Amino acid sequence: MSRNKTAKSNGGANGAVRARPELERRGISASPGIVIGTAFVRNGDRVSVPRNTIDGADVDVEIQRFARALSDTVRELRALKHDIATRMGEDHARIFDAHLLILADVTLMDDTSAVIRADRLNAAAAFEKVMNRFIATIGSIEDAYLKERTIDIQDVKKRVLRTLLGVATTISARPTEPSVVVAHDLSPSDTAQFDRGTVVAYATDLGGRTSHTAIIARSQGIPAVLGLENLVEHVETGDTVIVDGNAGVVIVNPRPATIEQYRQEIDRVRALEEQLLLLTAYPAQTLDGRQFALCANLDAANEVDSVIDHGGQGVGLFRTEYYFISQDYLPGEEEQYKVYRQVVEKMGDKPVVIRTLDVGGDKIASYLHRVPELNPFMGWRGIRFCLTRKDIFKTQLRAIYRASAHGRVKIMFPMISQIEEILRAKEICAEVRDELARDRYKFDESVPLGIMVETPSAVALADQFAREVEFFSIGTNDLIQYTMAVDRGNSKIAHLYQHLHPSIVRLLRLIATAAHRNRVHLSVCGEMAGDLLAVPILVGLGIDEFSVSPNVIPEVKRAIRSMTFDECRSLVRRVSRLRTTAEIEAEIEAFVKAHTPVSTASGGTRS
Amino acid sequence: MIEFTRQVGNRIGLHLRAAGEFVKVAAQFSSEVRVYHGEKYANGKSILGLASLAAARGAQVRIEIEGADEADARKAIEALFDAKFYED
Repeated sequence: MSRNKTAKSNGGANGAVRARPELERRGISASPGIVIGTAFVRNGDRVSVPRNTIDGADVDVEIQRFARALSDTVRELRALKHDIATRMGEDHARIFDAHLLILADVTLMDDTSAVIRADRLNAAAAFEKVMNRFIATIGSIEDAYLKERTIDIQDVKKRVLRTLLGVATTISARPTEPSVVVAHDLSPSDTAQFDRGTVVAYATDLGGRTSHTAIIARSQGIPAVLGLENLVEHVETGDTVIVDGNAGVVIVNPRPATIEQYRQEIDRVRALEEQLLLLTAYPAQTLDGRQFALCANLDAANEVDSVIDHGGQGVGLFRTEYYFISQDYLPGEEEQYKVYRQVVEKMGDKPVVIRTLDVGGDKIASYLHRVPELNPFMGWRGIRFCLTRKDIFKTQLRAIYRASAHGRVKIMFPMISQIEEILRAKEICAEVRDELARDRYKFDESVPLGIMVETPSAVALADQFAREVEFFSIGTNDLIQYTMAVDRGNSKIAHLYQHLHPSIVRLLRLIATAAHRNRVHLSVCGEMAGDLLAVPILVGLGIDEFSVSPNVIPEVKRAIRSMTFDECRSLVRRVSRLRTTAEIEAEIEAFVKAHTPVSTASGGTRS
Repeated sequence: MIEFTRQVGNRIGLHLRAAGEFVKVAAQFSSEVRVYHGEKYANGKSILGLASLAAARGAQVRIEIEGADEADARKAIEALFDAKFYED
């Protein structure tokens, strides 16, 4: 994967062209992997629209200019559509149909001309005003099904403005050889234009783990670092760029020593991967014979092949919200059923834990959350959302239950903090089962129900919850955030977010005890499950299942196979007496060093 | 002029894509097409106008057609409603 075109004159003789200094930027790790490549900068996303008052005599000229810009844009878009249809198939080109219809809309011409005439505004400003009015109207529709993502309209607005303002049209520009695409932001129509294989990584100023680009990158298996703020201003096409999707770091114009360091890291990871894939056929079992289920987390149905390739024994967490977020509108029962069924069938007799919609927090589907919340992580998310939007919840549950006819499905509820919530969710599941039975659908009547344990309240009441459900899955990311009161996206305090903080270890023990006493299956599906330093602790706590990103499965398996359950149990007892994260980590590091073959310990996914 | 009322029967209502289908049909005729939903009104040949109507599933919309080919236009538009905008 490593593309390296470092022929750039780094050592450029005579100092005639001074190499620009190395620049390291930290962003959001949106898709894992490391790539050294050449930048392809796609700019022109940000169009600043000048606002001029025009002379009365120029009104007609301005209107003609606008008409010409519209027809130029139509021509350009038709060419683009044709190009994409021939290169990538009609399906990919369909995205432009709505754009063309918008461009052909008579009201664009009529309304914009009227504004130019009445307000004596230049065409660009007048057009922007007209489009913003539509965007505001359509964006504020309350019906969840109707409320569009206005992204298509925004897209058209940008295209026409670029044509009007003569901003270098980069829309049809795309890399012709494998490149790291650097942009301010990428819309679905942007990413649809790129040939598979010409993009080796993404680095964008906007976006996060849930944005369109992140989902595309993960499904294509290429690294992405997003949320880089203003990276695009510091990169030129042709620059050498390192994208480290594991650490969420981008390095522009790396020094030869940095390149060498990353090249070694790429080689090390590749060698390790090859070696680890050999383990696929072996069980995740300790030296003294305790077996663990090693499952995978899934964001999109098309990632399921990767689960199987990496030897996953099931899907421990299917985050259905990404599917919802990537749609323009609320998907209906049939559509959802098809998606769930696809995953369930592919996994065959292996279990698939489907988590019900966990929107809210940082995962926003614009058609569902209309009013921004002041404190979204403490807000209307997960089960709280679903219980107030019973219509959406029931549709999803019907689709999941129907998919259960095709394999082994489990249903998990997110963000549970009160007993009433699980009781109510179970009631609604019973309603759904009754209705499906009445409608003569086939489904598994005993689909196991479980909860995410990710709020301190759920931990405190773990013994009560354990009597109500068949499994727990510990969502360590949120549990740590809520316990430590730390937003790890905030760089000032991110260091306080620690997997192995004594308080977290203590909470994990509480959960494990409650689960074991009540014979509740216990899984850990947060990032901690893939943290090689945390693995011996989780083994020692006697959890039943790890659920991690597919590509981490082999490493976790190798770690488990190198230790004994007995030793891990006494390790847990030892660290439980320690008072700081540093002490706990030192204790585990010594343990890992003594048990694990060289070099594995540094290859985890610690954040 | 012809005037009739229809219920928006497709699953998600008159959103951008459904509005696009409507425009494609209406644009084949020279007649004027006006769509009313509650207090709002839109040109039936404007995708942005139709999408701005906020006509959700189940909404009643009143359609006025006026022009030489109004009878044919009505047939085509009714067929589109019958087919639920080719969506489900």
